Amino acid sequence: MDERLKKEWESCVKCGLCRSVCPVFKELRQEPFVARGHISLLSEFIKGNFDFDSEKSKDYLYKCLLCTTCVEACPNDSGTDTIVEIARRRIVELHGLPLYKKVMAKILLNRNLMDLSALSANLLSVFLFNKNTNTSRQSNSLKIKLPFVDKDRLLPPLAPKTFYHKYESYGKNAKISIFPGCLINYTYVKIGDAFINILHKLNISYLIEKRASCCGAPIYFSGNFDDAKILAKRNIDLFYNQDIDYLVVLEPTCASMMKFDYPKLFMYFDDEEYIKKATEFAEKIIDPVKYLYDNTDIKDRLKDTGLTVTYHDPCHLKRTQKVKNEPRDLIKHAAKFKEMKEADRCCGNGGTFSIDYRDLSLKIASRKIDNILNSKAQVLVTGCSACIMQLSEALHIAGHDEIKTLHTLELIDKSLGG
Amino acid sequence: MKFDYLKDLLGNRFLEEKIDRLQYAYDATQKMYMPDCVVLPKNTEEVSKIVKFANENKIPVVARGCASGFSGGALNIDGGIALSMELMNNIIEIDLDNLIATVEPGVVNYDLQVKLKPFGLFFPPDPSSWKFSSIGGNIAENAGGPKAVKYGVVKDWVLGLEVVLADGSIINVGSKNVKDVAGYNLTQLFVGSEGTLGIITKALLKLHPIAQGSQTLQATFYDMSLAAKTVSDIIKNKIIPSSLEFVDHQAILTVEDALKANLPTDADAILIIEVEGSKFQIKEDVEKIVQICTENGAKVKIAHSIEEEESIWLARRSISPTLKRIADGKLNEDIVVPRSKIAEMIKKTQEIAKKYNVLIVNFGHAGDGNIHTNIMYNTKDKDEEKRAYQAMDEVFDECLKLGGSISGEHGIGITKQDYLERQVGSRTIQLYKQIKYAFDPNNILNPHKMKL
Repeated sequence: MDERLKKEWESCVKCGLCRSVCPVFKELRQEPFVARGHISLLSEFIKGNFDFDSEKSKDYLYKCLLCTTCVEACPNDSGTDTIVEIARRRIVELHGLPLYKKVMAKILLNRNLMDLSALSANLLSVFLFNKNTNTSRQSNSLKIKLPFVDKDRLLPPLAPKTFYHKYESYGKNAKISIFPGCLINYTYVKIGDAFINILHKLNISYLIEKRASCCGAPIYFSGNFDDAKILAKRNIDLFYNQDIDYLVVLEPTCASMMKFDYPKLFMYFDDEEYIKKATEFAEKIIDPVKYLYDNTDIKDRLKDTGLTVTYHDPCHLKRTQKVKNEPRDLIKHAAKFKEMKEADRCCGNGGTFSIDYRDLSLKIASRKIDNILNSKAQVLVTGCSACIMQLSEALHIAGHDEIKTLHTLELIDKSLGG
Repeated sequence: MKFDYLKDLLGNRFLEEKIDRLQYAYDATQKMYMPDCVVLPKNTEEVSKIVKFANENKIPVVARGCASGFSGGALNIDGGIALSMELMNNIIEIDLDNLIATVEPGVVNYDLQVKLKPFGLFFPPDPSSWKFSSIGGNIAENAGGPKAVKYGVVKDWVLGLEVVLADGSIINVGSKNVKDVAGYNLTQLFVGSEGTLGIITKALLKLHPIAQGSQTLQATFYDMSLAAKTVSDIIKNKIIPSSLEFVDHQAILTVEDALKANLPTDADAILIIEVEGSKFQIKEDVEKIVQICTENGAKVKIAHSIEEEESIWLARRSISPTLKRIADGKLNEDIVVPRSKIAEMIKKTQEIAKKYNVLIVNFGHAGDGNIHTNIMYNTKDKDEEKRAYQAMDEVFDECLKLGGSISGEHGIGITKQDYLERQVGSRTIQLYKQIKYAFDPNNILNPHKMKL
């Protein structure tokens, strides 16, 4: 393991400050569910004084959202997300992965298999889902019990045509390439549609690289480093020599994974060549809203939509990529903006966290509802489809279907005339 | 098995796997001592049963809140039971007629403040760890904080306690009465007793109305002795700020490195001064303070928004945790001297630092003479570590010579117990032992702390 990684936990002074910010700790209130606890376990493991053989290891280490709220607040920059991921890798070595995560890894490793699964799920959707009458939710509840997924869970419908099937590279001398991320490719294609519409209106050429693989985040976050490494290498090899200024990654979690976790993943494996490549590759990765804000005259083109809007900061946009003011500034040009309290408080989705610990996940989400309502906004805008999925469900449960959720790109697209 | 009784009593709130014991083995001293088991009681009755069991079987019991202490008070240095108060975190009552809050020990200081704010009230003790330290811990260590200069420390705000004694009996000391002279003042004996005399299970806290307004100033000095003189001058002019904090050059550099808060890195010291009261009072105090600071050669910045105020305070509160950026080892002291002696004491620490060739970072509560003297060393450099301890020894000596105390707010625990006798004398230590024996004849409650 690269020495540079060790500072992530050796920097901890056990002050306990993380106890004041962690959204999971706020609910469970015991040391094993907070960064300081996780850090202590990992550093004792590295020293050889402890191993994750207890069954409880899974409960303690998987009940972390990887939201990085503690990392942002830590005065010593201890990297609890990385620490938890490394601990999970050891847990996978000792205890194996749950079946659904094994299947998920198999599917995510293979784009054709992914397409096939999506296609079959789409064809079967008539039998699987109750048609939700509320179209603003754009999500369906399940008709039958599926393994791993609660029956009453609202799920976004799979799109009939994926982003990759729908779009081709466009224009001459394209300097950006678009990486939609699986969630936008298969389900929230409409967010991808919005970005494509915006680019056309601004007359910007783009590449769509259909050989791209899943970024590997769900696999890496589960502690399955070996499969994550395969995907990371594939993506780096694919994009590394392309003559582009930016790889625009539509999903903040994918962007965060590729920009910040790829280098750490290769540090874990002491792979010097790929540490270097991943670090260089990271420079090109950008969030679409930040891309538009920094590189185009989008701000001057926005027209008031007449909507009253509040904004939720996705963890992997605000905390890891430090994109906070750009979306707000654009929203202010497109709508009446109302800042909510604790806008950057994690929504509680956390990827597979919301599958494994649904009740806890929704409890964390519900803490946001009052702040959203108090903002008196009609529309909740955010920059991440996982947050949209989570918060629209939490709003639905709280009986507030009247508040719509939109991606920042969708609002921008509307503001440019739809 | 040894702990079957506790297992039956508490179910899944009894923990004995290594993975659990390890996470209740440390505190902010960064030292580790493994307990034999961890218990998470939910009420006084459970605490009583746990302690009674421990007493009958002569097993050490160490109470812990958030484990954010700096003197090792929460460490199970002899193993035994780690009694975590994490789940006893209810605010039982906010009595608006008498301005008293009744809380369980696991309540986090800041969480109480948040609950009190809508009523226009607050609990004045505000240790820098207020967002992640518990009321129980604050009481057990008799914590202070920046506001101590005006409002005093925890002991000044505790009216009564419910305590579980070593034999498991439950007693109530003190009461909701502001005046109460019936019997010994045991409340004050438990405050600051560091878990050695009993387990606090409930506390009656005095509350204070929030001031009409407040204003924060930051004064930058290019000469440390002038900063210290300013502190004396402010007090001499009969202004009692609600906080009067100082940060030395090295601490400024460290925080700036961590926060990038645009601090004056060329300065010798910063004073952070907060005044509160009516608009009129604030205006008058601020004018006077600005004048005093300017006369002493300082540049003064007045915070005009909550954001500016928060950024000034964030810098101050971040010092302690960020010191690791300088060196991985630190002797984290919190000496206190009469406030007229501050300049002299700081000068002494600088001479001591030179003499032993170690780095000493000073910051703290200048208004009440409480200085956080952090002697930094590299843990891999055994010679430097030795010199750091020698320097600390001399710092204590100089502090006592000036009529000071070796601990203003962190407590003695294990980190300072070898120096306690030097300050209080052998007869007093003997008396401590007699008191301890009266409360806890089997020495099961946080044994081997404070020389007990």
